[in-house]
Amino acid sequence: MKKRLLAMLLAGAMVFGLAACSGGDQGSAETPSSPESTAPAGETTPAGDEAKTIKVGMVCIGDENDQGYTYNFMRGVEEATAQLAEQGINVEWVYKTQILEDSGCEDANIELADAGCQIIINNSYGFESYMLKVAPDYPEIEFISCTNQASAVDDLANTHNAFANIYEGRYLAGVAGGMKLQQLIDEGTITAEEAVIGYVAAFPFAEVVSGYTAFYLGAKSVCPSVTMKVKYVNSWSNASEEAAAAAALADEGCVLISQHSDNTTPATAAQDAGVFHCGYNNDMTGVAPESSIISCRVDWAPYFVYAISAVANGEEFAQDWTAGYADGSVKLTTLNEAIAAPGTAEALEAAEAELADGLHVFAGPLSGHPAQDPDGEVWSIGEGEYFAESDLSQEGGLSAPQFCYIIDGITEE
Amino acid sequence: MHNGEKTPLIRLAKRESMPAAAQWGIRIAAILLALVVGGLVILISGNNPVQGYATIVEGALGKTSGIRQTVKNFIPLLGAALAIAPCFKMRFWNIGAEGQITAGAMCATYFALFWADRLPQVPLLLIMCAAGAVGGGIWALIPAFFKARWGTNETLFTLMMNYIIIGVVKWLQGGPWEKIPRGSQQIEQFASNACLPRVAGVYCGWIIVLVLTVLMFLYMRYTKHGYEIAVIGESENTARYAGMNVGWIIMRTMFLSGAIAGIVGFLLVSGANNTLYSGVANNAGFTAITVAWLAQLNPFAMVGISALLAVLQKGADTLNTQMSIPVSLSDVITGVLLFFMLGCEFFINYRLIFRGAEERQARKEAAKS
Repeated sequence: MKKRLLAMLLAGAMVFGLAACSGGDQGSAETPSSPESTAPAGETTPAGDEAKTIKVGMVCIGDENDQGYTYNFMRGVEEATAQLAEQGINVEWVYKTQILEDSGCEDANIELADAGCQIIINNSYGFESYMLKVAPDYPEIEFISCTNQASAVDDLANTHNAFANIYEGRYLAGVAGGMKLQQLIDEGTITAEEAVIGYVAAFPFAEVVSGYTAFYLGAKSVCPSVTMKVKYVNSWSNASEEAAAAAALADEGCVLISQHSDNTTPATAAQDAGVFHCGYNNDMTGVAPESSIISCRVDWAPYFVYAISAVANGEEFAQDWTAGYADGSVKLTTLNEAIAAPGTAEALEAAEAELADGLHVFAGPLSGHPAQDPDGEVWSIGEGEYFAESDLSQEGGLSAPQFCYIIDGITEE
Repeated sequence: MHNGEKTPLIRLAKRESMPAAAQWGIRIAAILLALVVGGLVILISGNNPVQGYATIVEGALGKTSGIRQTVKNFIPLLGAALAIAPCFKMRFWNIGAEGQITAGAMCATYFALFWADRLPQVPLLLIMCAAGAVGGGIWALIPAFFKARWGTNETLFTLMMNYIIIGVVKWLQGGPWEKIPRGSQQIEQFASNACLPRVAGVYCGWIIVLVLTVLMFLYMRYTKHGYEIAVIGESENTARYAGMNVGWIIMRTMFLSGAIAGIVGFLLVSGANNTLYSGVANNAGFTAITVAWLAQLNPFAMVGISALLAVLQKGADTLNTQMSIPVSLSDVITGVLLFFMLGCEFFINYRLIFRGAEERQARKEAAKS
């Protein structure tokens, strides 16, 4: 008896609660009806409105709080949205953040497809195999896997890959780092042999190897005696492991830290150890003003503008895409003049000009062994030859980096 | 009132029994209350609760693809709940279903990776299923053996076993089983003959778990084994006195439990994911404990509870997509609902006695007579 009374009271409270809530939110503009979900690309637009609206989903391994990899995508999103608005294209973004490289990624892709997205962007390398399980079921949706390479072989018309020539940015950042090392040598702070770079690397994988090799070659172009130690953290994003690896490298005598990992902790660890740093994805001078010299990053805005406007205009867009420093797809962050070596800005300008003139970063003579396989077959190219990285004009060329050799001067740990 | 200081303000007493109608009254009240609290969470996130709930239901059941995803969530939940039911009936606290699923998944994956090129689909799937069952069974048998032999604490033991096997899979994923080119920390997607076929758009695991539901019901209700399990659950000494080999029954039941969990692991790798990774069980082994309790170990009730949770899981995902409510907040809503549902069982089984209430009751009765 008493219980029934209680139940009724609770039910009453519930009804009141809900009524109050719905009353309070009458003015809300959010009404998730889903007319978009049935609208194919570029067909329906709001009546009387010239602007086209494209719904784009993005599956992200992190979120904007990582201040690194996913943050860099979000920055591209903002920029692209603004540029597209000028072309009369509205973009409605839907995000699935903190997605792991497992079946959850498949669910996220389905979720976005059902939400009516016309383009779905997967921002991490490990997402592609799951994306490919969803793409065949939604032939009208364009699926993009950044930094990956299956679109060339998957027999699906609606899958795409894209990655900018980040090796050019790495090379330039390497020039800035190398200038600092040369300055330390010239001032007698370190000997020529002590010019050692420590590199915090995610995985022994082509994207990473290509990046640190370019960085090393950039540094070497201005500091011939430089060598480099690479430490893998076996994770794209693990703030504490990245910091530990940077600290260990500094302990081992590295005087400049660089990184291919998603967090800013290598920069702060470098500052704590009193060594210098070059970053990735994001300007890290804010967190490590006494240490971080410069960072390079991919600017995703040009690609987003290209792909989204193509869909909005009902055009095809490339299944594999790449662009470089000269196209604005790879950028350097503001040089930290307070700690950079004198003449760094000029050296960067010169290197940029060389790149624009067609300088090949992976130019011979170079030789090395396959990553993680010191006894593997030695690879080498001679004077005048070069390794064509991310060159789509080549037969079988892919946007995803392919250079995966450990060249002389670099050691893996 | 000196008397009152000695007795605590609130005491608990086991209820004898409660009429079914009253029980359901409490349950419905609890769900409603949970919806109100969950609604507050949605409100705090800056959205309309009614719309939020509508999105959950619509996301989970509104579209064919949504229903498919919901069913995909439902399969491991029900399967794992069925797996732990016999242990819990026996009062053997197996909280290692997560690890047993993973162990089964790992063993099934071995055959998917290395035997797919030599075997046609049906025998391969049967072997994978058997391997999953044996793998999960052995993983469960280890703590059962220690319990039967040396009386170790099964709760801690089964829990620890989870971490070991998840670590092993993590190692395989980045080591010997990693796909080429290396560096991805992923295992190759299975060949098509190692994948379970789809029925009605979802891999056929849903049929398998529904069949298992019936089998488990029959096993627990009508077999000698089921009876023995129930007796041990009531009183181990009674079982011993009746001449049952308690240690043997514990090991046998745990093997069965682990084997079913292992089959769930097989279903996940072969049907849902088509690959193996360390998070393959995705907490189903833990959530299943809630499912089993809420269903009071009745397999048919588990179907309903798993379905409800599956709807919530998928709905929460849609809530995140459509209203940008962080996934963590959607999880809070699910947690609130589970908390209230489990909590209400407490009030059905126990009653609270406030200080002085008994005296008043006694006085009232004295006045009557």
